[in-house]
Amino acid sequence: MTAIELDGVTKRFEDVTAVSDLSLTVEEGEVFGFLGPNGAGKSTTINVLLDFVRPTEGSVTVLGHDAREESVAVRERTGVLPEGFGVYDRLTGRAHVEFAIDSKEVDADPDDVLERVGLADAADRKAGGYSKGMRQRLALAMALVGDPDLLVLDEPSSGLDPAGAKEMREIVLSEAERGTTVFFSSHILEQVEAVCDRVGILRGGELVAVDSIEGLREATDADATLRVSVGDPVADEVLAEIRDLAGVRSVDRDGDDALRVACDSDAKTAVVTELEERGITVTDFTTEEASLEDLFLAYTEDDSDVAVDDSDGAENDRSEAAESERSDAADAEEAGGTDDPTEAGTADEEDGGDDADSEASAEDTEVAR
Amino acid sequence: MSWQAVARKEFRDAIRSRWLHGSTLFFVLFLGGAAALFFGALLGPDSRQVSNLFGFFASLGVFSFSFPGLLALVLGFVALSTSYGSITEERESGSIKLLLSLPNSRLDAVIGKLLGRSGVVVAALLVGFFATFVVLLATGTRLELGSFVPQVALTALLGVAFVSVGLSISALADSNREATLATMGLYLVFAILWGSISEGIPKLLNYAAEQLGAGGVAELTRVKLGVFLKYLNPLKTYETLAAQLYYGPAQARLVSTTFGERAVLAPVLEGSPPFYFSGWFLFVILLAWIVIPAVVGYWAFERADL
Repeated sequence: MTAIELDGVTKRFEDVTAVSDLSLTVEEGEVFGFLGPNGAGKSTTINVLLDFVRPTEGSVTVLGHDAREESVAVRERTGVLPEGFGVYDRLTGRAHVEFAIDSKEVDADPDDVLERVGLADAADRKAGGYSKGMRQRLALAMALVGDPDLLVLDEPSSGLDPAGAKEMREIVLSEAERGTTVFFSSHILEQVEAVCDRVGILRGGELVAVDSIEGLREATDADATLRVSVGDPVADEVLAEIRDLAGVRSVDRDGDDALRVACDSDAKTAVVTELEERGITVTDFTTEEASLEDLFLAYTEDDSDVAVDDSDGAENDRSEAAESERSDAADAEEAGGTDDPTEAGTADEEDGGDDADSEASAEDTEVAR
Repeated sequence: MSWQAVARKEFRDAIRSRWLHGSTLFFVLFLGGAAALFFGALLGPDSRQVSNLFGFFASLGVFSFSFPGLLALVLGFVALSTSYGSITEERESGSIKLLLSLPNSRLDAVIGKLLGRSGVVVAALLVGFFATFVVLLATGTRLELGSFVPQVALTALLGVAFVSVGLSISALADSNREATLATMGLYLVFAILWGSISEGIPKLLNYAAEQLGAGGVAELTRVKLGVFLKYLNPLKTYETLAAQLYYGPAQARLVSTTFGERAVLAPVLEGSPPFYFSGWFLFVILLAWIVIPAVVGYWAFERADL
């Protein structure tokens, strides 16, 4: 059965079209990731599902109900973690969950739900004093009340630290195992990659791609990026040597003590071996599954207007990814300290690289369409 | 029917607000304090009866003062302040997204807010009246419960009416700032300008009729219209209904009239007053001030994008 069906949905606000002729189907039991940069129309689409805003054109069906006329019936079976929500400052965490229990008219123990999202200790504190991450957990707790058939999560990991984001991911996965349909939006690709069956990419209010992660990756031919920390500066000839290795697409300096190598997964070992043979000490290396990010950028950025802000955001995502992918936990601490400043310092260089990728992939997109 | 859930949430939220604690304290001091002053100090043992304070009306023609009128002014202010932000504040903080992501309809939200916030205002008011009651007992004042209890009920209804007005402002406004300004403006109209407007409209009609050559409007008609318009103001509706509890309808209808109006209207009221000056009709007006603003508020909120 179909959990969500959008058919030709357009939403125009006074002076801007937020979503344009969007058609999308999400099957029951599916985990669907909704990707796009800020302002792409992700939240508007979600708001249409929940009847927060009404589409200018098109029809929306959620769990077999018309999203406009039968919104209460939709929300009875849907758990929602909205984007940009606020809490009731004077009410405790428990009172919030009790409000959700009352509204959904279900019989549930608020403490169980709070326990599940890791807020049991703060249950009796006023939510006004909660941190951003705690508020996010509280809203998730409210969403989980009554075991919904559909979870709609708008940027669920915003405000969460890496551990919190991981817990969020685990909760999403366990809900999915229970058969819950999950529809969530994000700009943090690793979140999506880790849990989603299918991904839709939204740009400028239009759906530019819907596919499985593998499908999207194949379609854009993106590779892994290897970040190698080295003890000494690397000479130009060495860079050239590496560039000539089979499977290596590009090599850039990432500060004085690191290299960034775009290459096939198979070529990683060869790169490290080559460096060591050249007498360069490799202190650490991380693989970034940058593919999805590049792919994301490929789909979401026009060649001409690569905004500086967006690139910075991408940088952050990238370093988060690096951290989570780091195989050696001991190294993580050491490298973590030097990592961020270096990355910030070389943001400009990186932009160039991303650009190139975007261009390459954008061509593919054209072909695919 | 999840409006109960919304009402409970509203009440639990508002009951913790400092504003409510302040207004409760205010009602205790205002109502209990006035009772203590009047019945404990100012009035001799013989005149210690509820009507000498809660049924205190003095009219000097152009200027009239009554204790119920003063209470209505204060209550109107407190009730509007309690409700004008009920939707705009949730919009601005974003908590409305939590409220409406749960299976609450927009109607549930409006009804729940009306009842929840009304509960808060009425609770503060009742605490004040309870303090008064203690003072009345302590001073051995004659209670006149047949008038006093219905007056407490009427006062509560007036509170609900202003909560409803505030709620509709909140639903219609685009921002909290807009709601604040609209509330202030509307309060000004109710408290100060309404009298002049309701006296001015018949005069304008008369002038227009004369200019059109229709020969003007009869004085009695003009006075009836002016006084009727005056009593559309919930503050005045309440005042005259409260007066009726102590002094009967004919006198009560005259409490906020000028000398001129009184001279013309008194004979009419003594005879067979028109239905629109009856207590029941005015009571319906008071109820309409609860229902109509809430309906308008719902109508606006239902159509709005969040």
